[in-house]
Amino acid sequence: MKRKALSMLLAATMVAGMFAGCGAKEETAAPAADAAVEEEAPAAEEEAPAAEEEEAPAEEEAEAVTLKWAIWDEGTTPYWSALKEGYEAANPGVTIEMVDLGSTDYMTVLATELSGSGTDFDVVTIKDVPGYATLVSKGTLEPLDSYIDAAGIDLSVYGGVDSQITVDGSLYELPFRNDFWVVFYNKDLFDAKGIEYPTNDMTFEEYDALAREVASADFGSQVYGTHYHTWRSAVQLFGVLDGQHSILDGNYDCFKPYYEMVLGQEDDGICRKYADLSAEGLHYSAAFSSGDVAMMNMGSWYIPTMISSLASGEYDSSLCGNWGIVKYPHADGVEAGSTLGTITGLAVTSATEKKDAAFDFVNWVSGVEGAKVMANTGNFPAIATAEITEIIAGMEGFPTDEASKEALTVSNLYLEVPYGDKVSEINSVLDTYHASIMNREMTIDEGIAAMNDEVAKVLGQ
Amino acid sequence: MDEKKAAQLKKLETQSAELMTQIRNENDIEKKKKLIVQREKVERKAVAIRNNRKISRETKKDLIAYSFIAPNFIGFAVFTLIPIVFAFALAFLEWDGNNAIEFVGVENFAKLADDTFFLAALKNTLVYVLGTVPLTMIASLALAIVLNQKVKFRGLFRTVAFFPYVASLVAITAVWKMIFHPSKGPINAFLYYTMGMSNEELPQWFSGSLVMLTLILFSVWKYMGYYMVIYLAGLQGISAELYEAGGLDGANTWQKFKYITWPQLRSTTFFVVVMLTINCFKVYDIAVMLAGSGDGKLSTSAMVLVYYIYEKAFRTWELGYSSAIAMVLFVLVLVITLIQFGYEKKLSE
Repeated sequence: MKRKALSMLLAATMVAGMFAGCGAKEETAAPAADAAVEEEAPAAEEEAPAAEEEEAPAEEEAEAVTLKWAIWDEGTTPYWSALKEGYEAANPGVTIEMVDLGSTDYMTVLATELSGSGTDFDVVTIKDVPGYATLVSKGTLEPLDSYIDAAGIDLSVYGGVDSQITVDGSLYELPFRNDFWVVFYNKDLFDAKGIEYPTNDMTFEEYDALAREVASADFGSQVYGTHYHTWRSAVQLFGVLDGQHSILDGNYDCFKPYYEMVLGQEDDGICRKYADLSAEGLHYSAAFSSGDVAMMNMGSWYIPTMISSLASGEYDSSLCGNWGIVKYPHADGVEAGSTLGTITGLAVTSATEKKDAAFDFVNWVSGVEGAKVMANTGNFPAIATAEITEIIAGMEGFPTDEASKEALTVSNLYLEVPYGDKVSEINSVLDTYHASIMNREMTIDEGIAAMNDEVAKVLGQ
Repeated sequence: MDEKKAAQLKKLETQSAELMTQIRNENDIEKKKKLIVQREKVERKAVAIRNNRKISRETKKDLIAYSFIAPNFIGFAVFTLIPIVFAFALAFLEWDGNNAIEFVGVENFAKLADDTFFLAALKNTLVYVLGTVPLTMIASLALAIVLNQKVKFRGLFRTVAFFPYVASLVAITAVWKMIFHPSKGPINAFLYYTMGMSNEELPQWFSGSLVMLTLILFSVWKYMGYYMVIYLAGLQGISAELYEAGGLDGANTWQKFKYITWPQLRSTTFFVVVMLTINCFKVYDIAVMLAGSGDGKLSTSAMVLVYYIYEKAFRTWELGYSSAIAMVLFVLVLVITLIQFGYEKKLSE
């Protein structure tokens, strides 16, 4: 009798819970989002009235629309609010609400937010391609093709990058930021040894020789010839720069010479050891700014950080103030200027009811207007034009030599992770064995064989 | 009183009378007791109808009790019970959180046998449990016995032993990473300078085959203080007379431990082992903090089951597959706990 009552109660709560669960989803997401928005509300309000008074009467058909936009690290990334203000000024009546999800696990948090039946995000920023692939396969993003056609957007301005993120013939995001990898170098360290600076046309052999020449093991004034951050992109992706390989291939033998080069440099004390970096969690910016790293391959996103940190005095300019950039080294017989790229894009959620307004914002940010805002904050917009390169090269604090300016032109851009059906799983396999090889748990051959085997399993599924 | 009620009452009365005769004829005491309880229920119902009460007093009592349990239980049901039941179902489904759910039968489980990362995670978790549980138990018991004696600064030492348990995980893993740093840490510096190890021989504490050892050492150090407190409570529950009697019979320290302390602590040890085993199977934070790379990813040498469940569920959104792994973990813990309970029962008989 009692048992029956208990089980009835249980069943009742379960049913009730199910309804509560379904209904609550939208409600629970809202307060957190509201809280985040409130913080910046005063700033937005200050400007809004002024803009409305002036322009609202002229465009009466423009209804008041609020778009909710997912971003990360608002405090340390100046371009979010610059884009928001720029768009709001150009489109009275539209308010952009930014919701900061943090950068550490942004794509994971975003995917969780967009799971289930609903979300109140209208526009979301896409941080990486594996996350993009996940969101597309979950059906949470709106295909943009019809909007692109209607707006008459010419995709050729993206320099072919769009084809690397096309999913079954459709685009689900428009890139607004496009970073590419270059080699940062510290001129003082080369001067001290009386060695020529690296150039915009180096083969990997020349690069390796230069690193070994500039390195010095003297106690107290140790200099590392190179520095490789713990990301797999920093080492293994040298292998895809010849344009004949891709991480989606399923065969990773092309990584071998570069693992040999980097592990050889580690063994000879030319660069810091991966195991050490991973144990101490040393950030690449701390490594380069401490003035004992001669060359470091890193994305162009580090340029504005260098400029602003040196200007603010956060970096000691006697240690790393005299810096420059050159193009990525290249394999024999491959054109100089081939490099890796990372794009950041905007997408419209399939759940939003304000798709047209949302796309208009996406279009503005990824278009020429947005590109100017990006360039003015020192970032590389996805639209690469000579004018934009001029803006960045002309920034106060950008290296003044010709080579650094020339390094900003890219001949071939390969995405670190182009879109593929199983890219998320492939990415995770490659990450795992990269760590195994760099930690010397596996030899290079074993690690690459394991990559080939495991990715074959993923692709065979 | 209307006719319906009269009929019901009549029925209950005959039922009661029947049960009464059955009770009289029943010889088995256990069965008799059951029948008596049954008859009481029938009687109570009859009383309720006679007094024209809609809800019997008993039901009322139950309802009051339930209403007190409800706030907690509803929270538990919505946020824990339903997800658990749902996870059981998900193990046989394929779902990414958005698209339609697909039934795949035992395919998720079949895939496990061929999954390198799952097998690595399973192996690492088992190694971790087999290493951590006995070592923590021994360390905490030893600490408890030493700190149960009247040594000077006993309170201070107890606090010191308990400290790792309450200290922030992030802070203490940072300290461990410095101490065991492969090229700059004091441990390896000691090995290099005094033991004469070469650079190549120096142990890599956070990768390869040694990383599980580091995790185990760390966990023993972190957990032993907590279980020491439990053992201390157990030790203080042992009557001093037993030791006195043992002393009179000429028992030495080891014999006292073997024949008095250890048997008297049996139920405490049982609790400690069960809790430790369950906790160790759930290991996640320690592995990620200590062995994770910059972005919190674990390689095959340190991957544990809970990490892989998270990875599959929220990084690649294979909710069905990750639930299947969770089920494996659940069954593993369940079986081991049942064995422990069975063993404890056998011992106590």
